[in-house]
Amino acid sequence: MGQSTTLQASQSTILLNKIKTFFSKPHNVILLLMGIVLTFSTVAPIVAIVEDTFKIHPGTIDAHLTGQAAGYTTVNYIDLFTSKLAKTNLWTPLLNTIWLAVGTCVVSILFGGVFAFLVTRTNLAWRKYLSSIFIFPYIMPQWTLAVVWQNMFNSNAVTGTSNGLLASLFGIEMPLWWCKGLFPSLVVLGLHYAPFAYILIGGIFRNMDANLEEAATILDTPRWKTMCKITLPMVKPAILSTILLVFGSSMGSYPVPHYLGLTTLSTKYVSMNSKFTGEASILAIIMMVFGVAIMLLNQLSLTSRKSYTTVTGKAGQSSKFNLGRVGRYVIALALVVVTFFTSIFPIVSFAFETFLPNPGDYSFLYTGDPSNLTTKWWVTDENVSENGMYGQKGILHNETIWRAFRGTMLVSVSCALLAGSIGTLIGYAVAKSRRSKWANYVNSVAFLPYLMPSIAVGVAFFILFSNQYINLFNTYTLLIIVGTVKYIPFASRSSLNSMLQLSGEIEEAAIIQDIPWIKRMTRIIIPIQKSSIISGFLLPFMTCLRELSLFLLLCTQGFILSTTLDYFDEMGLYAFSSGINLILIVTILVCNTLVNKVTGASLDKGIGG
Amino acid sequence: MKLKKLTALLLAGSLMFSLAACGNKADAPASNPPAENSAPASTPVDNKTPDPDPADDANLTETQKIIKEAEGMTLEELAKKAIEESNGKMFYGVGNSSRGKSALPLFIEYLQSIDSSYSMEFEWQQPKNNKIFDQLTADSLKDTGTFAMTLIQDGNQIESKMVQTGILDTFVPKEWAEANGVSADSYDGYLALQTLNKVFMYNNTGAKSYDNCWDFVAEGEHGLYMDIDSEIVGKNFLYMLTEDTYAGWLKDAFNALSADEQAYFQPTIKAMESEAADLGLGADGAYALAWIKLWVESYNAQTDDGPICNTLVDQSATDQFGLLVYSKLRSVEESSSVSVNNINVAAYDDGYTGIGGYGYCHYLFVTDNSPLPWTACAFIAYMTETVDGFSAWGKDMGGYSSNPTVAAGTEEKYGHSKGGMSEDGATVEFEAKNDRGYDWWTTDGKLVLEDPEYCASVSFTVGSWIEMLTKYSAG
Repeated sequence: MGQSTTLQASQSTILLNKIKTFFSKPHNVILLLMGIVLTFSTVAPIVAIVEDTFKIHPGTIDAHLTGQAAGYTTVNYIDLFTSKLAKTNLWTPLLNTIWLAVGTCVVSILFGGVFAFLVTRTNLAWRKYLSSIFIFPYIMPQWTLAVVWQNMFNSNAVTGTSNGLLASLFGIEMPLWWCKGLFPSLVVLGLHYAPFAYILIGGIFRNMDANLEEAATILDTPRWKTMCKITLPMVKPAILSTILLVFGSSMGSYPVPHYLGLTTLSTKYVSMNSKFTGEASILAIIMMVFGVAIMLLNQLSLTSRKSYTTVTGKAGQSSKFNLGRVGRYVIALALVVVTFFTSIFPIVSFAFETFLPNPGDYSFLYTGDPSNLTTKWWVTDENVSENGMYGQKGILHNETIWRAFRGTMLVSVSCALLAGSIGTLIGYAVAKSRRSKWANYVNSVAFLPYLMPSIAVGVAFFILFSNQYINLFNTYTLLIIVGTVKYIPFASRSSLNSMLQLSGEIEEAAIIQDIPWIKRMTRIIIPIQKSSIISGFLLPFMTCLRELSLFLLLCTQGFILSTTLDYFDEMGLYAFSSGINLILIVTILVCNTLVNKVTGASLDKGIGG
Repeated sequence: MKLKKLTALLLAGSLMFSLAACGNKADAPASNPPAENSAPASTPVDNKTPDPDPADDANLTETQKIIKEAEGMTLEELAKKAIEESNGKMFYGVGNSSRGKSALPLFIEYLQSIDSSYSMEFEWQQPKNNKIFDQLTADSLKDTGTFAMTLIQDGNQIESKMVQTGILDTFVPKEWAEANGVSADSYDGYLALQTLNKVFMYNNTGAKSYDNCWDFVAEGEHGLYMDIDSEIVGKNFLYMLTEDTYAGWLKDAFNALSADEQAYFQPTIKAMESEAADLGLGADGAYALAWIKLWVESYNAQTDDGPICNTLVDQSATDQFGLLVYSKLRSVEESSSVSVNNINVAAYDDGYTGIGGYGYCHYLFVTDNSPLPWTACAFIAYMTETVDGFSAWGKDMGGYSSNPTVAAGTEEKYGHSKGGMSEDGATVEFEAKNDRGYDWWTTDGKLVLEDPEYCASVSFTVGSWIEMLTKYSAG
């Protein structure tokens, strides 16, 4: 009897104790809460899109084919995959999308990865300058580089438009494949995402303990072998994370292929949405499937990730490859030239554009006549149609632009704080219990929104929050919700990568001392991985500032700066869009400097400089 | 593997939700299938498009009842109703034109001239990328909507997505109807605020000229045009070409070509005869299909009319041409390389034959769940019945009020027909900016006019045929 009673009591006590122990660990509480919240915020949009593919939409192809104005059908799938338009609406855009995504990954990883290596692991000259300037293409909205590309290379003879700068000044006419289509799209997107690769790969390079490489050197291992067997495996998680992020982003990119005349699933999604609404949603699902497949590949290849701990409680040191007395300057000079065209020239071109009398009117350059310049785009303070203002006030007096600027700041700061905090916690919690199924689930479900095409996510949330009970279209609330969900992966990836580098012994030492969790986080964990964690806040902030695809269908054009910028670009009012670009760049630089002053960390400094 | 399972589970769950939702079919709003008849194209006022038929007052919604009452009132009477309804409230409007935002303060000033204590806050939204239809559809789900009214383009989608579904209601202002010689009861078209025209223009710095609309689809030509998938009214233009009147115009223009020129187009026209028969088009349908085929397979897609205009007025754009909104010329600033005089409006050239461009409307509607229906009606009446109300659009060339009285008043006030004259009023400075007006464009200018009902009726016949064509890609 006594034994039996003892056994019963111990079973319930064990259960209670298990629960108590489970909830006594902060990372378990985080995982549970985030798992529930993220399941809803991730699954709901998927459900909305899937439902949309079966729904009959009045005035569209499904209504026409079924003869019904409402209800559900599978006709969208049948028509998309089997009709005569399948090649036009599905297969060609799909192929183009894959080429674009793969090409963008290659360009960004090669450019960003090599740059990261040179800045962090060599004695390259002018590292601080190069490090700062390299992230500029990522700061700028991606399609503005596409517009710069057009303004640079278009010509009357080849693209059937007015002459761009090269044709105007030097009579150089670039071939069509260079001006429009796949090649410029993947180069522009590759340049845009190269800083991404630089940030992620550079973060690992910087924290890498050189003892391993030095051990190889002592053992007389050839340098190429050290690179292949030690260095690259160490940065493999970052490379794969970069692929994962860049592949998904470029696949879901709308504005670059749109401006450069490449038909992808994203551009097709927008063009089909009015008449083939349900079929457009299937395209979104196809993009999601690709994203999930890439994530699975990534997951499989990282099964042994724990062996890549790079930051331990032991003292570490880093050594730098010597590029040689001349080499460090020659290579730096080459990079200065390259980054001039990718980072400085667009900004100069934006600034110059705001003083042209008409968009793309480069009369001043070949006449030298100052009357071919104007300040009207900045200072006009009345609503006029004449003199090329299209009924707009100058940038300094334009209420639409400044209202949009305030809106953008609100959304960006909110998204950065929310996504950064949530993502950091998820990264921490997942790293603490990475063998747990639930942790893997939370990690995956947090990352899933990033793999969905931005436009599709936007539409899904629009559908979710546009009903008789709640209508959030054109509200900051909606943008903040969507932005937060979408950008959590930035912070969670960044946080997870850095937490995985962190040996458990560091926190364990504090636990033994009975230091509370909050204090462990704020005094130990966060300070050690400050640069990565701050990246997790800055990346959503920067991305949100010039995000278009995600917000394109969620608000009107004057609501935030990116939709306003896109509006002016589409209208051909490049002076306004260039001015907005300058405002964005200045804003990000100011914020980066402020963060640097306050926390001592920043994107570029944190990595290489 | 675990992740695979998770993903599969998520997608399976999604599918289950979707299928479960199929059971809610009965809740979906019922509506009629697309219209089948094909009324001839005409000016907006003659446009006979079936509205939800208010056959019986008992079947009218609350908003439709108010509209019916409002249609018997003068602007001033409506204004008093609006003051009563919206004083101190917030007014939301949504439209394809940003200028609703400029018109609303003038409307409020007008109401304040009747009651100085009147005030109203407002917000005017201009969604892009066809989102206006989704936005209005979503708003229609609420008992009382957010938007009081809309100013919207693309008759085809309005017909199939907005009117047949009962989301939008047409209000015909009394004085507008009188000015057009119709009555609210007898008029069953949409209420157009204005007609805008997209016209063929070409850069004249080279030797090339275009004296026939078939020249725009001749070998090697690549006109600049907004992508028909970006701006759906561009696709409506192509639909309208298959209507008997406009197909006839194309045939006439073809007949005016030289024998050599005809020989180039003849095989395409011949090849289109069976297609035209299959699509149920009229006798000249093959000419329309041939022109459409050649156009779609040759035009150089652009993001907006703005960049097209910027290109064409530049002296480097030798021999380029485009089909773009006429009013874009208003904003060109003269410089060393840019001038309005670098372009010709094709239809203004002596001896030009064939279609000169395309006319489409901005329509005004009251939302069926409008929170401020009286104010919406008053605002619509103000914009369509007064020169001041229309001035947000009327101050610029290329937009023609649907009210002949307002159109005349606008011309008197702004003098667009002499917009290209120098200050002395006698010297032609910019020929292209002397707007010849709506009457000229719809007769001599051979403007193809959008007919929403016709567009909706062919959108999945001619429309699907157009989708099959391989668009020209400069990339």
